[in-house]
Amino acid sequence: MAAVTGVSLTTPKVLALESPKKVQSIKFSLLNNPWKRCTEFGRNGMYVRPVAAAPEGLSEKLAESVKNAEESCSENATSGECAAAWDEVEELSAEASHARDKKKESDPLETYCKENPETDECRTYDN
Amino acid sequence: MAVSTVYTVLSLNSTCSISKPTKTHLGFNQKQLVFFKKITTITTTTTRRATTVITCSAGNTVVIGLAADSGCGKSTFMRRLTSVFGGAAEPPKGGNPDSNTLISDTTTVICLDDYHSLDRTGRKEKGVTALDPRANNFDLMYEQVKAIKNGVAVEKPIYNHVTGLIDPPELIKPPKIFVIEGLHPMYDARVRELLDFSIYLDISNEVKFAWKIQRDMAERGHSLESIKASIEARKPDFDAYIDPQKQYADAVIEVLPTQLIPDDNEGKVLRVRLIMKEGVKYFNPVYLFDEGSTISWIPCGRKLTCSYPGIKFSYGPETYFGHEVSVLEMDGQFDRLDELIYVESHLSNISTKFYGEVTQQMLKHADFPGSNNGTGLFQTIVGLKIRDLYEQIVASKTGAPLEATKA
Repeated sequence: MAAVTGVSLTTPKVLALESPKKVQSIKFSLLNNPWKRCTEFGRNGMYVRPVAAAPEGLSEKLAESVKNAEESCSENATSGECAAAWDEVEELSAEASHARDKKKESDPLETYCKENPETDECRTYDN
Repeated sequence: MAVSTVYTVLSLNSTCSISKPTKTHLGFNQKQLVFFKKITTITTTTTRRATTVITCSAGNTVVIGLAADSGCGKSTFMRRLTSVFGGAAEPPKGGNPDSNTLISDTTTVICLDDYHSLDRTGRKEKGVTALDPRANNFDLMYEQVKAIKNGVAVEKPIYNHVTGLIDPPELIKPPKIFVIEGLHPMYDARVRELLDFSIYLDISNEVKFAWKIQRDMAERGHSLESIKASIEARKPDFDAYIDPQKQYADAVIEVLPTQLIPDDNEGKVLRVRLIMKEGVKYFNPVYLFDEGSTISWIPCGRKLTCSYPGIKFSYGPETYFGHEVSVLEMDGQFDRLDELIYVESHLSNISTKFYGEVTQQMLKHADFPGSNNGTGLFQTIVGLKIRDLYEQIVASKTGAPLEATKA
């Protein structure tokens, strides 16, 4: 925890440098899932590949599952396997769209301030 | 010391662990602090405290069921609902980042996908979809929802939508309002009994197709054919297992293509029907002009000018699957704020606490999909009705025990 607070004091400069890899160390849970690195703190068009699509891993999984589903259904269109395969496609599409929404709305400063509202950068004055 | 005796009596074992006011679940801490104050003012009645029912959540949890197709997560209805109660719902801090649960001060929303008995590979092997009851553990669902309703915290499994595996469980503490969202909240009869209120989102096939195209066309892997094939392949299971749940719902939000634009296939303008069951305890259906009468209303005219295609309302009694229901229908779109407030001022029984509350809630989330048509309007109204239902239930429950303490 102390390490986290130490990092937090320097984040304004980090944010100004637009280096997302440092920003994500605030949320240490991301360290456990390194493949998620690029998805949580996306700024539109700043550093990530396709802006309109979901994170890479997910997009690839989705494309693969569509191919699988088309294969299983070409053999037997009414089998349980065909339905299960398309169900998987549906599940991954839903997940991809949620990931896209999450990417759209996460602003690094907002995310930081949600968890640390008492720091100087996050002070608000409501009169 | 006095505090600890209260904890043991209430058996809220979760609260014992949060004795220090730290990061997790600030909402709960606040509740407990209030609770402490209550206790200190009743210090004289120490003997009574061991038997009173002045608890924060034991037995006061209201369970709401929401049936909606295709995946759970941060869906718009949940965000509107939690916003009506106040506060923003967020995933549990410090837990599994792929958790489907949302927690706010008063509400906890869980996704019923967490009760899958088969993970993605298991389903593929057996050739069953997630819609099939064989892929879900209804016994566990029933036990845990019952436990939460009785004020006992549970360790609920997590279904990870990204990996398709079942992750280690997370702790869920009983909140004031517990929402179970997913494909089968009303499928099992025992779980149905536990629900205080249930809602079914019925999206017609044309609208579903249009929405899925909008959602999925940005993905490289998808094409129009694959989207269509996906819907078609899931349809048999959906019709067999999910669709029949709408007869049990207390409120159904039915979304259909508009009738105002002939041959419209864009799906942008929607006709939304709010079907409300009559005779549900603590739930008074919303109505226009007078309950039980049939009325068709076009608000656009001299007082209000609307742009094409305008707005059309209707209200009337009907029968739905053998039940008496009242149906409020809206066709069209809102363009301006004053249209919304005008319409709100003519709806009755919307359970708002002040004039313009519906409009305010809609404006607060103007970026959510459906904020300019009946889906957003009816979701907000249902949220307010649920708040009203919750307050009535709490009032009726605290009424009796308080009398017991006076005795």
